[in-house]
Amino acid sequence: MTEIAVGAAPLSRERVGFSLNRVGVIAANTLTEAVRQKVFNFFLIIGLVFIGSASFFAQFTFGEQMKFIKDTCLGVISVISTLIAIVGTAQLLPNEVENRTIYTILAKPVRRFEFLLGKFLGSLFLLGVSILAMSLLFGAVLFIKEQGMIRELHEQYGQNLPAAEVADMNQQIQEVTRSAFDVDLVKALLAETAKATLVAAITLLISTFSTSLVFNVIVPFMIFVAGMLRGAAAEVWGGHKLLMALLAVVPDFGLFSIADEINLGNPVPWGHIGEVIAYGLVRTLIIVIAAHLIFSRREI
Amino acid sequence: MDAIRTEQLTKKYDLGWRKGRLLALDKLNLRVHEGEVYGLLGPNGSGKSTTLKLILDLIAPTEGQAWVFDVPCRKVTSRLHVGFLPENPYFYRYLTGVETLEFYGKLCGMGGAPLRRRIEELLELVGLVKARDRRLSGYSKGMLQRIGLAQALIHDPKLLLLDEPTAGVDPIGSKDIRDLILRLKGMGKTVLLSSHLLAQVQNVCDRIGVLNLGQLILEGDVRTLISDQRRLSITVQDLPEAARTRVEEAVRAAGATVVGVENPQTTLESLFLDALNKDQRGTGHHD
Amino acid sequence: MGMKLLVVILLFGTGLGLLPMENSVRNERLRLKYGGARVTFELREAIGQNLAIALLAGLRGVVADFLWIQSHGFWEKKEWLRQYRDMEVVVTLQPQSILFWDLGSWHMAWNIGYAALTDPQNRTRAEGIKREREWHEKARDFLARGIQNVPNHYDLYFYMGWLYYEKLNNDCDEPPCRDALCRAAEYFRKAASFPDAPQYVARMYPRALEKCGDLVAAYAEWKRLWFQDHTKVEQLWSVIEREIKQLENRLNIPNDQRVFPRGTS
Repeated sequence: MTEIAVGAAPLSRERVGFSLNRVGVIAANTLTEAVRQKVFNFFLIIGLVFIGSASFFAQFTFGEQMKFIKDTCLGVISVISTLIAIVGTAQLLPNEVENRTIYTILAKPVRRFEFLLGKFLGSLFLLGVSILAMSLLFGAVLFIKEQGMIRELHEQYGQNLPAAEVADMNQQIQEVTRSAFDVDLVKALLAETAKATLVAAITLLISTFSTSLVFNVIVPFMIFVAGMLRGAAAEVWGGHKLLMALLAVVPDFGLFSIADEINLGNPVPWGHIGEVIAYGLVRTLIIVIAAHLIFSRREI
Repeated sequence: MDAIRTEQLTKKYDLGWRKGRLLALDKLNLRVHEGEVYGLLGPNGSGKSTTLKLILDLIAPTEGQAWVFDVPCRKVTSRLHVGFLPENPYFYRYLTGVETLEFYGKLCGMGGAPLRRRIEELLELVGLVKARDRRLSGYSKGMLQRIGLAQALIHDPKLLLLDEPTAGVDPIGSKDIRDLILRLKGMGKTVLLSSHLLAQVQNVCDRIGVLNLGQLILEGDVRTLISDQRRLSITVQDLPEAARTRVEEAVRAAGATVVGVENPQTTLESLFLDALNKDQRGTGHHD
Repeated sequence: MGMKLLVVILLFGTGLGLLPMENSVRNERLRLKYGGARVTFELREAIGQNLAIALLAGLRGVVADFLWIQSHGFWEKKEWLRQYRDMEVVVTLQPQSILFWDLGSWHMAWNIGYAALTDPQNRTRAEGIKREREWHEKARDFLARGIQNVPNHYDLYFYMGWLYYEKLNNDCDEPPCRDALCRAAEYFRKAASFPDAPQYVARMYPRALEKCGDLVAAYAEWKRLWFQDHTKVEQLWSVIEREIKQLENRLNIPNDQRVFPRGTS
């Protein structure tokens, strides 16, 4: 064995401030864990669903087919991103405590908030990568379907068309293209991302005081369901001020439901999307602060 | 300066509603001098792990305080100079040996070429050069212990806290770890060692403290504590049987008592290591 | 315990504090007419438990599509009333969908209506015609509700015009039929007034005016179309030219007042 080199560590001995670098190290490690544990295998299943949804509906009109594809794909993205947010985040802290890896990390000059934020950001990176990958698959499916429909139109109309039919065909091609690629779909994906981020934050909060993985999955899911029902509850019991005040602790997840409106061609102003995302981010920030308050005093 | 100092350090755990509290540590006053190897002994539930957790701020004291190099343990800065090897260390199994040390090094603010150099040095030190690029899921228990030591040393801390460092490790590995601890001591580092394996503690520690039911019931220099001042042992070699009788008579004539006459024994560990050393085929130690 | 209590207070307090923001977003959704019928007991009975759960999970579009595909299956099996019921539920779920209102009315007027006309269980032809007529009127009422829900797009006005033009006119010269064609013209005019309406929509207005009997108005409209900027508007100019020429002959427009005087190519 060789001698240990002396004076290898260039640490400041004066103070240890909050370090984004340390947060980044923990976040990157969290993402590495998710990738190397083959979390992404399920994307293959998602891909099959997406591609399958493009093939099943050939007996319907172009407009119907496009609507089915967009509704199905965005619905899958919504469900899967919520599942990733819950399941991916629920195990972060319990696994660290159960495996005792948290001891060696917190034994280093690492603040508890850095650790918590790093794990959370790692989970968000996973979520972001997942949503991006699903979105790219979604875009590819739309493109393939659009090209297929255009090819069909050309075959239907044939060659050497009179001017009237050329105009008609071009009109239909334009409608196919317009229904396939709508820039507003990006707004739907942004809203879904904001929603999933908020769900992940809630899961993080629950996991700061609960050690049971099952509890950490079920409770955030129930909160999500309650949040989806808030709109309906407000319609039915809006007059009961006390009940509405109590329900206010649960985020209104119904506000993030933009995808359907975009698929129907309804206008979704950027101002509205901005307000929805801001709402999600404010809720997320508050919940992360709450998680920090609990975790900072938790006995490991 | 003391490496570790505690004053009236007390920890009570809540057992739940109407079940009262468990006194895990009772007004512990402990001083670990800089540069010594201190053994913290005690049965299960005596408060050893609680003491280590309090020093590392993993739990909060109910009463009292603790300092590391005069920095209160509740401050993050106290851990700048501390390296910790937990009992049965479990690291991220999907990381390789190098990646594990990189991760911990970066947490300590290290990076670039200095970190890479440090990693190479430590892998060489703990004998894991050949396994550097293997994922930890493929490491044996001894290898995990060694990578654990390496991560504890990554930032060249002045104080090492080792919780059962030789638990579950074979005799060769245990000897290596003991030799390493002595080497660290030679470099001026302070080691607080918690262990059940009393024979190993005896060979390594300068001072020991014995905890029982949260209280320090015995503390002192190892050699002084274990030696029996009243008895003297003289070892001779090739003494004829006739001369043995005259020696015994001389002892009795001096007014002392012959307590026992027997051949000295080596330790089972030494016998084991000698046998392996003599075996030309080597140990097949996993690396 | 103290910290947990503080966290609970923080969450409730900020929840209350965010109510104005939530209400603002909610009100904007109402203004933009997002969503559809809320999940009532009746709706849950109509769509079943599983779809009700999917609805509550925010998968309104997927649920509507599922029911639409189901209704298509009923169409193939000729189960018209089941198809009709599903289509009614679908537009309740997504009243902003032009596609569902359009295709729903098409099914009623063209498919179900024809099936009612040719149903072997009809005792007389008159009974068949009456039943077909009932489905035409159902389609009209259905589309009228669609227009109330989606008043800012050309599509449903055009489809309503087409419904009057093709189905509600009974192919006759008597006043009720002409009334229908004049109503068709009105709807085509309304549809063509939207800037994103395709040019064929614009051409249907004067066509319907002609069938309605108002040749003068039809001629005026064809001329208006003709005098658009040919370099900026994509139109079937040859068709418009032909229509103008025909009307100029039928209306005996003096040569010097014609768009296409006789003797010119």
